[in-house]
Amino acid sequence: MKRSKSLKIALMGASVLALSACEEPQDVAIFENADQCSQQDGFDRASCEENMQLAKEEHIRVSPKYTSVEDCEADFGSTQCEIAPVQTSSGGSVFMPLMMGYMMGNMLSGGSRVATQPLYRSADDPKNFRTGDNQKVAGKTGVSKVPANVAKAPTTKTSTVRRGGFGASAPRTTSSRRSFGG
Amino acid sequence: MQRISLEQRDDWKTQAENLGFNFHTIDDAPYWDESACYRFSLEQIENDIEDPSEEIENLCFEVVQRAINSEEILTKLAIPTDFWDYIRASWFNQEKNLYGRLDFSYDGQSPAKLLEYNADTPTSLYESSVFQWLWLEQAMELDLIPKGCDQYNSIHEQLVEAFQNMHRNKDIDGKLHLAACQDTPEDEGTVRYLEECATQAGLDTRFLFMEEIGVDANGHFTDLDDMGIRTLFKLYPWEWIMTDDFGKAVPQSGVTFIEPAWKSILSNKGLLPLLWEMFEGHPNLLPSYFANDPSAANLEGDYVKKPLFSREGSNIEMIRQGEQPLKVAGPYGEEGHVVQALHPLPVFEGNHTVIGSWLVASKPCGMGIREDNSPITKDSSRFLPHVIY
Repeated sequence: MKRSKSLKIALMGASVLALSACEEPQDVAIFENADQCSQQDGFDRASCEENMQLAKEEHIRVSPKYTSVEDCEADFGSTQCEIAPVQTSSGGSVFMPLMMGYMMGNMLSGGSRVATQPLYRSADDPKNFRTGDNQKVAGKTGVSKVPANVAKAPTTKTSTVRRGGFGASAPRTTSSRRSFGG
Repeated sequence: MQRISLEQRDDWKTQAENLGFNFHTIDDAPYWDESACYRFSLEQIENDIEDPSEEIENLCFEVVQRAINSEEILTKLAIPTDFWDYIRASWFNQEKNLYGRLDFSYDGQSPAKLLEYNADTPTSLYESSVFQWLWLEQAMELDLIPKGCDQYNSIHEQLVEAFQNMHRNKDIDGKLHLAACQDTPEDEGTVRYLEECATQAGLDTRFLFMEEIGVDANGHFTDLDDMGIRTLFKLYPWEWIMTDDFGKAVPQSGVTFIEPAWKSILSNKGLLPLLWEMFEGHPNLLPSYFANDPSAANLEGDYVKKPLFSREGSNIEMIRQGEQPLKVAGPYGEEGHVVQALHPLPVFEGNHTVIGSWLVASKPCGMGIREDNSPITKDSSRFLPHVIY
């Protein structure tokens, strides 16, 4: 047979399917700093420091970014923000929340599927640690279980400085077009 | 290969509209046309369309391999210097391609001749993969065509599988963003369909318009929620990305594009003279030259002149001895032209017919047929279903 054997009715418009992949929760460990980590049973200082360093590097990349300190503090609280080591394209300052902790794999259970990353506390929910893309992790330090999607490297929540830079090259014709493809 | 007139399904318009296939009729003229279908033998499909498509795809890879290392060729293709390294990197990093459509002139008897390769932004996908498939199943049920017919069309299955592979191998890591231009219903429909395929493959997706994409302070692209874009399927030509304002941010953006940048070599009409230069005499290729190349004088007789970046038949000019040139209007051509020996489309009951041969992840897997009253097909050309029996 040269054709598809079956076809879940595929729509051209909005999807009617709601698929959700069920993945096992992941074992993670959460610490405020490397000292706290190295006091945890089964965690050695070298790994603790290595992972904290990794999280600090990720912090610059994945932390939420703001072009005004007021906007940042509105989300993370007074004096909870710092200047990011990056600038807007026009040379302006960029602000990001302070890193309040980090998450790594649980060394006792392998934890290889966990992306080491910085954690934050937001002003409206200061009890909980959150990831760079604002997913709740846990309220306490130590080992914990989180949904698999939370253990993944965060998609960066960022601050858009400009939109509309794509599309200008499309030919503008007076007649209506259905397609630019072919 | 025959054209067979047929009875239409009473409710096909309602079905099309229920599925979101809203451009089945354009300005009162049919676009989806099931008043006839094309019939092929299995040998014709396998020997004359499927196998040559696979072979040409491999020849195309040889062209890319050569072009990325030749400043002379990249210049001839009118690709901006700033993107040369980026295109090279996209090839060396084996960035995955999703789909493409080879257009052939084929009459059922002599070898199919490659007219062009829609490698970057092909449309007419949904009608090929889904609506044509539904037609076949229902036409057999209604006895409009014999039971036990087949169709060269596993496009949908292959698309879902391609997305599954990209998901599993982390070629798509995290959310897949998909974009089309505003006010182009066919393009948006095509992208919405691909989004559906990606969803069926278990991917987390988000649609937005090209015009809505933003950039952050680090030069990363963002969606309307200010979330960073990691993988972007864009139904938007590479040559436009390269000249757009945000184009210069692309190489450092960290975004994986589908189709990848190396496809810009294959969607360029300059592919045709490059293929001919490297594989002159191949049965599925037509003599082609860059228009400003002195060897273009080798082209004897009738020919077609095409802008490097033309889409949908725009600005294509057909030059026949002793006749006025036949031209399609459009906005392209400043970037240069190629000339290609004329191999007229076959005519079936007054209709000029072109074969679109689909590849998904470089694997040939289906076919769509377009018809026009004129010898040059364009975006208004009718789409007709096909059967194998």
